[in-house]
Amino acid sequence: MLAIRGLKKVYRDEGDEGTTALDGLSFDIEKGEFVAIMGPSGSGKSTLLHILGFLDRPTGGEYVFNGKKMDELSDEDLARVRNREMGFVFQDFNLLGHATVAENVELPLLYSTDIEPADRRTLVERAVKAVGLEEKMRVEAGNLSGGQKQRVAIARALVMDPSVVFADEPTGNLDSKSGGAVMEILRELNKEGHTVILVTHETYTAEFANRILHIKDGLLEKDEKVLKQRETFFK
Amino acid sequence: MLFRDIFHTGIRSIRHARMRSFLTILGIVIGISSVIVLMSVGTSAQALIVDQVQSIGSDLIFILPGATLSSRFSAPASAFGVVTKTLVQADVNALEREPSISAVVPAVYGQGTIAYGNNNAIISYQGVTANFFQVRNFKVASGRPFNTADVQGGNRVAVLGQNIAKTLFGNFDPVGKYVRIANTPLQVIGVLGKQGTGPGGVNQDDIALVPITVAQNQLIGINYFNFVTVQANPSYNMDFVKARVISDLRQDHGITDPTKDDFTVQTQQDALAILGSITSVMTVFLAAIASISLVVGGIGIMNIMLVSVVERTREIGLRKAVGATNRDILRQFLVESALLTLVGGVIGIAIGALIDVLAYLVLSAVLETGWVFALPASAIILGAGVSTAIGIVFGFYPARQAARKSPIEALHYE
Repeated sequence: MLAIRGLKKVYRDEGDEGTTALDGLSFDIEKGEFVAIMGPSGSGKSTLLHILGFLDRPTGGEYVFNGKKMDELSDEDLARVRNREMGFVFQDFNLLGHATVAENVELPLLYSTDIEPADRRTLVERAVKAVGLEEKMRVEAGNLSGGQKQRVAIARALVMDPSVVFADEPTGNLDSKSGGAVMEILRELNKEGHTVILVTHETYTAEFANRILHIKDGLLEKDEKVLKQRETFFK
Repeated sequence: MLFRDIFHTGIRSIRHARMRSFLTILGIVIGISSVIVLMSVGTSAQALIVDQVQSIGSDLIFILPGATLSSRFSAPASAFGVVTKTLVQADVNALEREPSISAVVPAVYGQGTIAYGNNNAIISYQGVTANFFQVRNFKVASGRPFNTADVQGGNRVAVLGQNIAKTLFGNFDPVGKYVRIANTPLQVIGVLGKQGTGPGGVNQDDIALVPITVAQNQLIGINYFNFVTVQANPSYNMDFVKARVISDLRQDHGITDPTKDDFTVQTQQDALAILGSITSVMTVFLAAIASISLVVGGIGIMNIMLVSVVERTREIGLRKAVGATNRDILRQFLVESALLTLVGGVIGIAIGALIDVLAYLVLSAVLETGWVFALPASAIILGAGVSTAIGIVFGFYPARQAARKSPIEALHYE
């Protein structure tokens, strides 16, 4: 479903020769995979996720997502693809603190051109139910615990029923119990058919995936199949 | 994104920062309320002036000696005290023969000392014919107005304005007493009712009226007129009557070239048009000054919106991540600043209206003539429209800054 060939990203400030974050990466990810991108900090794994999630553009190489070449798409097109086909879960949740759970989850629907306003409520309820927060629909997101916030973020990522969910260190700000709950939800999503692409530096988080891409210095170091996926967060 | 949703989002962020929103729109509130007050006071003043002009009688045509130079808004030289002797009895006679004219009132103006015993005052007096009282709607409070016999016979009689009567006679009734104007003894036969301030700021309680023959022959010594008032026959159109007056006077004065007219004819409509244009210009001028504060308010809005854009960098990034386009973000911030200024405008209109009501209460108590309350719909629409426009104009730059943020930089903003 997505393929990258020779993907490069160089951050260039005026005058200097630039910092290379990605140095010619190539791999494919098939529909239904659960892929963890691992690497030490500074390895370029977050940059890679941002490019895969159409949040940033590469400086070189090719990226094809669901048959669409990224360099042929305008910023508007990217926004539309992010809205319809991608869901995002961030390390620090990025919720609107003064909005309710339902309003946070509804956000992607507001920017969609093909969801009828009348259908929004049903979609929001379904997504919130999927993360088990139906009791908290009318609670302000700022008043939730970290684990609950991340589940709201997952519901928001799910609400448009995207083909792929990107998660950037989703357990990074959570204790192991809530982190475990979040990972179990992501694994469930994958079982239901969503492609999940996860960035992490923790091995035990990465082992929820069925494939681990090890990135180091902007290069693919190892493409590893996970023979036995982890089922719980605890050893 | 649907406008409804943008609107909701805007309302939410304004309510979220109530105090800041209020302080932000204060400039707009002050600006709009002053524009509203000035516009409505201007309208009221205009109504007051129009009312006073109309109280003279809407069927009147005024003839002044001398030509009007250049535009229709200028006055003939006689209005500035230049003596022009072209209006004479023959003109009055010609006009009186005109079936479209029901009355002709020639007048001469004089100034001099009026004395009774040891009391005296310098006054303006008018020599008029007997029909003046009926044509100009001047009533006597005591005694009687002079009649045609008084005018034709050159009887030395006078009708005094209220204030003059009071100055000379105190609380005594002057009727039957003799006063001296320009050292000529005249018997007071009547005192005018209260007339108040007429158009042009002349207090009509300060004048004395004498038969025109007395004024011309005994007080001043002239045989021409300073002013002629013509009352149109109500069954004729005013423009027609005005045209008749002009053609009669041209014929009488032997003028064939209209540019050589030695008289000026004005209807009340002409006077209203002049006064109306003067007060409109004044109102617009004052409102323009008041709108300077709107510009200041607009800059305040821009400043706060720029701060808000920086503060909400992460929110912008998130919205973009979940599918907001640059245009969505631009619209969101534009609607937000337009909403802010619209709220400011509405509050400004309310405060302006309140000040208008207070002004109405105070002015109608202070002024003897009727001050009308006016809150023109145009001012309300203009106020709301201008305030919204300010939000859009001054909100555009911050909104564009917001729209241009790259999603990833916005998400990583600390």
